[in-house]
Amino acid sequence: MMSIPFFGLFLAFALTCVGWRRVAIAAWALSLVGLLVLFRLHATDALNIVL
Amino acid sequence: MSITDIPADSAAIRTRRAFVSPKRSHILNAIGLLAICAVLGFAFLDQFVNGDLPCPLCILQRAGFVGVGLGLALNLKFGARPSHYAIAILSAMAGGLISARQMLLHIVPGTGTYGDPFLGLHFYSWAFLLSVVIVAGCAVLLLFDRQFEPLPADVAPRRLGTLAIVGFFLFAALSLGNGASTVLECGQGLCPDNPTSYLLLDKEPPASTTP
Repeated sequence: MMSIPFFGLFLAFALTCVGWRRVAIAAWALSLVGLLVLFRLHATDALNIVL
Repeated sequence: MSITDIPADSAAIRTRRAFVSPKRSHILNAIGLLAICAVLGFAFLDQFVNGDLPCPLCILQRAGFVGVGLGLALNLKFGARPSHYAIAILSAMAGGLISARQMLLHIVPGTGTYGDPFLGLHFYSWAFLLSVVIVAGCAVLLLFDRQFEPLPADVAPRRLGTLAIVGFFLFAALSLGNGASTVLECGQGLCPDNPTSYLLLDKEPPASTTP
């Protein structure tokens, strides 16, 4: 599951290479959402700081 | 037709006078893509040569850099556009957010660190600094509007160029390699917080033979 952003972004890059710009950007957007979701799943520890 | 026959405000003349012309923008983006490849390659080298397994947040920071590279690759393939710089900026912000979180985890002295430092800073601190530099660099490049002008009719259509082609090959190998390495390290689920080995390469302990 952690590899989803890499493969999604690689797909977007491959789509870029073949000239499918809009689909590539859509693949990038989905990968970014996946990246942020994975970050949320891993950011579980409380931070020992005072803001 | 000599250069003096072209009207002073023609697209050809304005493009040639531009500080960041489409051609210069292309070169800058190619150098940027190679720089991203250098960052990803150095992290990969550290992983395999020094045996420093990337933590989950480190993996996600690498993905942020791959996103930045994609924005630059879009510029190289389709010509510079503000939307491509936006992709690079948003990806750098995502990576920067993750590295900032990791810095805050270890910001209190005595709370430990992850991995070995490089030139006095840990990789997550470098990742944060680089994210800031990428956002600032893209913002500076966005100031130069003439790079976005369509190429004049008398200029040959855009080609990738050697730098960009090398960058494309390296970028493809590094993004795919990071994906494969992450599968080996984490398997199908989430990564352990402090990985010590590649999950898929671990051999099962031998089964007990006692009856």
